[in-house]
Amino acid sequence: MPIIETRDLRKVFRAIKRTPGALGALRTLFSREYVERAAVESVTMQLEEGELVGYIGPNGAGKSTTIKMLTGILVPTSGEVRVAGLVPYLERKRNARNIGVVFGQRSQLYWDLPLIESFELLRAIYSIPRDRYQKNLADFTELLEMSDFMNTPVRQLSLGQRMRGDFAAAMLHDPRIVFLDEPTIGLDVVAKEAIRTFIARVNSERGTTFILTTHDLADVERLCRRIVLIDKGRVIYDGAIEHIKEQYGTHRTLVVELCEDYPSFAVEGGEFESRVGATVRVRFDRSKISADQLIRRVTEAYCVDDVSIEEPELESIIRRIYVEGYTDPGAASAPQPTPVS
Amino acid sequence: MNAFDPYVEFARKAFAREATYRVEVFTNVGSLLLRVYLLRCVWTALYGQNAAPPNIPLHAMITYATVALLMSLILEIDGTRAIREKVREGGIATDLMKPISLPLYWFSDGFGQTVFHAVLIVPSLVLALLFVHVDVPSPPVLGAFAISFVFGYLVNFCLNFLMNVVAFWTLETFAIQLMVRWAADLLGGQIVPLDFFPGILGKIVENLPFAAVYSTPLRIYIGELPPSAWPAAIAAQGLWFLLFAGFSMLVWRLAERRVVVQGG
Repeated sequence: MPIIETRDLRKVFRAIKRTPGALGALRTLFSREYVERAAVESVTMQLEEGELVGYIGPNGAGKSTTIKMLTGILVPTSGEVRVAGLVPYLERKRNARNIGVVFGQRSQLYWDLPLIESFELLRAIYSIPRDRYQKNLADFTELLEMSDFMNTPVRQLSLGQRMRGDFAAAMLHDPRIVFLDEPTIGLDVVAKEAIRTFIARVNSERGTTFILTTHDLADVERLCRRIVLIDKGRVIYDGAIEHIKEQYGTHRTLVVELCEDYPSFAVEGGEFESRVGATVRVRFDRSKISADQLIRRVTEAYCVDDVSIEEPELESIIRRIYVEGYTDPGAASAPQPTPVS
Repeated sequence: MNAFDPYVEFARKAFAREATYRVEVFTNVGSLLLRVYLLRCVWTALYGQNAAPPNIPLHAMITYATVALLMSLILEIDGTRAIREKVREGGIATDLMKPISLPLYWFSDGFGQTVFHAVLIVPSLVLALLFVHVDVPSPPVLGAFAISFVFGYLVNFCLNFLMNVVAFWTLETFAIQLMVRWAADLLGGQIVPLDFFPGILGKIVENLPFAAVYSTPLRIYIGELPPSAWPAAIAAQGLWFLLFAGFSMLVWRLAERRVVVQGG
């Protein structure tokens, strides 16, 4: 049985219609005209327990609205939603015991108190048994290297330390599902890596299900095998990262280091991308021309110091999908979800 | 584990949090002493001008004003003030993701702060006695005062809660806050005893819910209400509390629903 299941999940917001200008502002005060906007048009997805799924999409795609429905603080306009067997909005408090949440931009720690006090409070909130609490706290303190700042007031912590504290806070009660919203935003590379390692370990050792919402696709690439891509409130892709990379991966970029300054650069079979100083980037389709052939054409016409080939990163693929929309070259109609087991 | 455990913990955390601001604590005690002294000067001057109501002699009036001031140290603590901030900045969402009752959470948080300030009042009171003479009534009167004060506290919490929960609809509640606060202080007898209101107006304000917060316990304290009048006065407070608590729960339901339906 899937741990998270939604079917045609939809959320429409009603907002008071605003008219521009001073007179308009005055009219807004009294008028009761509404505009309706579907933040989530239709989301159907299933997650198995222990999965670590990247839930991604451009700003305003409906990601956080979906998450709010899964956490039970928003009632869907229509459709079905089940989280660990519960309908979240009907049983908000029971659902809350099954889930943990980490927001990169908002801390749930007590600002004025030492970190450990926030943990103590969470122990009370979730009625975590003493021994379980002690064990989890010891584990997380070690994994996240928190012992140095356990007694420091949260307001004095660095962002990296605070995030580590927030992660521990979200997981002390052994939630089955953890929602991560931009968990590495603003962190330096070392702190990012520490957080990613932690997520991967908890996922594999405890079997915790994670939904990762982020704009940092390096997070997704490092952690997730499966992504659910959402745009304008609809799921446009649901499947393995590998699969999407293969589809879009016929393109490569040839990076050429020229040894002379040429007034222009062109090569047949390659699409000129950019030029910075002596470095020229050329995109080509692997199915139409081999790298070997392209390099030979370049070296015949130009003096070259160095060449290298770049594989497309998830980021550039996703960027293309945002701009062009998703079309599955293999399928004629709508994309078929390819669940990862 | 007890279902009230989290709330006891909230109160303890609020207590600890208050204690972290030491400088504020000392300036508060300082400003309190100054206010006690000024109140004495003002009332002594007013009584010198024959402005006094017949049933309250000067020493009772100074006692009234001083005790009212000490009470306000506790009653002005508003655990529900956080609602405004949380609704505006969206932190309310994170709170709703916890398996707790939010109104009870705010109550316990406010209570923790209250206990801290109540402890502080003791040295303030001792110091205040150096500046002014305050009547100390007999133990039964003090006991009745304490019970009445508890009800006043509860009514006050509901008033604050209702005021702040308006944030779910308007976001900006400062003006409402100011008006209600001012009305509650004046009509509740915090600034002057309600005996100062003339004729029919006095009768009206005595029966308003605001009187349950300051006026009733204070009138018990200075002996204006004889023991025979205590049960009725405290029952009236209890009634106001039940009424406001019921109304608060209703409004909270609506507020919670508003968040989950419209997304705050």
